[in-house]
Amino acid sequence: MDRNYLPWWRLDNAAKIFPSTSSAHDSKVFRFFCELEEDVEPAALQTALDKTIEQFPIYRCVLRRGWFWYYLEKSPLPALVCPEQLPPCFPIYPSPRRSLLFRVLYYRRRISLEVYHVLSDGAGALDFLRVLVYEYLCVRHPEDNLPASRVPVLGISDQQKEADSFQKYYEKPARRFGLSPSAYQIPGDRLPRNQLAILEGRISVKELLTCARVRKATITELLTAALLRSIYEGMPVRSRKKPVVVTVPVNLRNYFPSFSSRNFFAIIHVGYDFGQSSTDLEAVLDQVKRSFREKLTAEKLKSHVDGLCALEHNFFARIAPLPLKDMVLRYANRIAARAATVSFSNVGKISMPETLEKYILQFGVLTCAGCLQACSVSFGDSFVITFASPYRSRETERIFFQELSHLGLDVTLTTNIEEEVEQNVVL
Amino acid sequence: MLFCEQCKVHVKGTLRRCPLCQSPLSGTQEENVYPVLPPAKRTMWLLLRLAALATVVVAVICSAVNFSLPQTGWWSVLVIAALASTWLVLGVTVHKRGSPMKAIVWQLGVISATTFLWDIFTGFAGWSLDFVLPIFIPCAQLAAFIVAKALCLRPAEYLFCMTFCILAGFLPLIPLLCGVIEIIYPSVICVGISLVALAGLLLFKGRELKDDAVRRLHL
Repeated sequence: MDRNYLPWWRLDNAAKIFPSTSSAHDSKVFRFFCELEEDVEPAALQTALDKTIEQFPIYRCVLRRGWFWYYLEKSPLPALVCPEQLPPCFPIYPSPRRSLLFRVLYYRRRISLEVYHVLSDGAGALDFLRVLVYEYLCVRHPEDNLPASRVPVLGISDQQKEADSFQKYYEKPARRFGLSPSAYQIPGDRLPRNQLAILEGRISVKELLTCARVRKATITELLTAALLRSIYEGMPVRSRKKPVVVTVPVNLRNYFPSFSSRNFFAIIHVGYDFGQSSTDLEAVLDQVKRSFREKLTAEKLKSHVDGLCALEHNFFARIAPLPLKDMVLRYANRIAARAATVSFSNVGKISMPETLEKYILQFGVLTCAGCLQACSVSFGDSFVITFASPYRSRETERIFFQELSHLGLDVTLTTNIEEEVEQNVVL
Repeated sequence: MLFCEQCKVHVKGTLRRCPLCQSPLSGTQEENVYPVLPPAKRTMWLLLRLAALATVVVAVICSAVNFSLPQTGWWSVLVIAALASTWLVLGVTVHKRGSPMKAIVWQLGVISATTFLWDIFTGFAGWSLDFVLPIFIPCAQLAAFIVAKALCLRPAEYLFCMTFCILAGFLPLIPLLCGVIEIIYPSVICVGISLVALAGLLLFKGRELKDDAVRRLHL
């Protein structure tokens, strides 16, 4: 590499809002973890990370401020694995020291990858974690003699991985957007010191699929409906005139061909008005199914993304100096947050080479975004749904998991809130 | 594995009560999945807060004494201004502690401005323009150069700050040409040094400077 020239990248459309709006209580950092059947060996993990990062050049970069936009710049900083010593999804940017925009952590059986959303979305980060776990298991179990051709993202060029797919599919739209109506906000005190209460529920994929198919729905639809219902149960009567809205990130790679390991997602809003409609799970599910069918079409998604890209391409938006953009984006983010009650992201099924599956217990994902967030991922027969909440009250989670349990599903919970729970009991 | 009879859910880890309904769990505890984290130590913040409290104490005592003895003049205003200036410089240094080049630029800006303001509000004898700024700016340029070399920074990491320090060296031209300076030698030397530094920068790092401008100014 020429020492005098550092390659740099513009931020993609979705990433442009994150540096301005991330803060200590809304770090815009998400975490994927892989729980193995055995304890993690740090030296092997470091070797695996060194091999993995070679395949994802854009992960070796730092975020910098320009005069008009932030940008990513290649960095000589080393990528090191470290034991888990910080709270989950601890802020990566802004930080007093310039650092890479991801971390690889280990604790007991878990390898965790925490990524700042500027760098990548869930699908992109998942590719990184799959390669990392693959390389790690290759180092730990050379006796399995894995064929080199089974690396998860083999055959995808660096340019494909670095591509800004928003730019590729952007066309200037004809019409503009209006503001979404404001949604019900879960009230309650936040946990002190920007802590995040994590509650993971593990369910059998087979049981969940059966449960969903009986109702002629997909897993995402069923869980979205159950989530809407659980928020309704905890809602004060006077707030029932406001709709409960779940935002669902959609991986655009499923609609527009792309192999980018950067951001390429859109968000759809799925709402339900409990004040005026039936509160049965079946009725909610019907409405959710209809919303998904209406909103998850290539045309609808494209017009949504085009609208967002048009803002970025607006001449006046481009020439506004960065500190002004920071202020406007922070304000716009606050307004946009009012249109959603909660967020639910189903990342989907993770595949790994078959010979390695016996070493892996489960995958999971969680994210920090300032309000209650649910994320889920499935691997083999384990479906893991994780709630990350900045609130002291965990009523929504309680009702949600109890409802799943009533549906006949066997739920296994894991949490990071042990001491906190004990304190609440004392109080 | 633990089990909650009320919620009918299994629970992993070392909990004693159900995370959903807080009723007692049955079954055996397992190793915890998330580490128990010790509270973060913030020694630096404690020191800063102590210093801030000491500052407030000094300011209050001086104001009180001064208020009781008005015949001694309004010297407490100067004390408070001095404390505020010190905190301003300390503040930008702490804020930019992760990036020494930025710290130099910010210190250059803040110290120059406060010095100039002190001069103005203490009767404008002209010492800030005659001596302090023309001597301080080349020192900042030298500091930027030394930091860039010592930390083996890449051009993309130091060029912008370096250019800023060098361009700041031309500021003494303004009072020089306006004729408000009595002793001109420091200012002339400062501008001379800055000219040589600018020529060196353009000759040796011109291409990198252009690259840096492209990435910093991209629309």
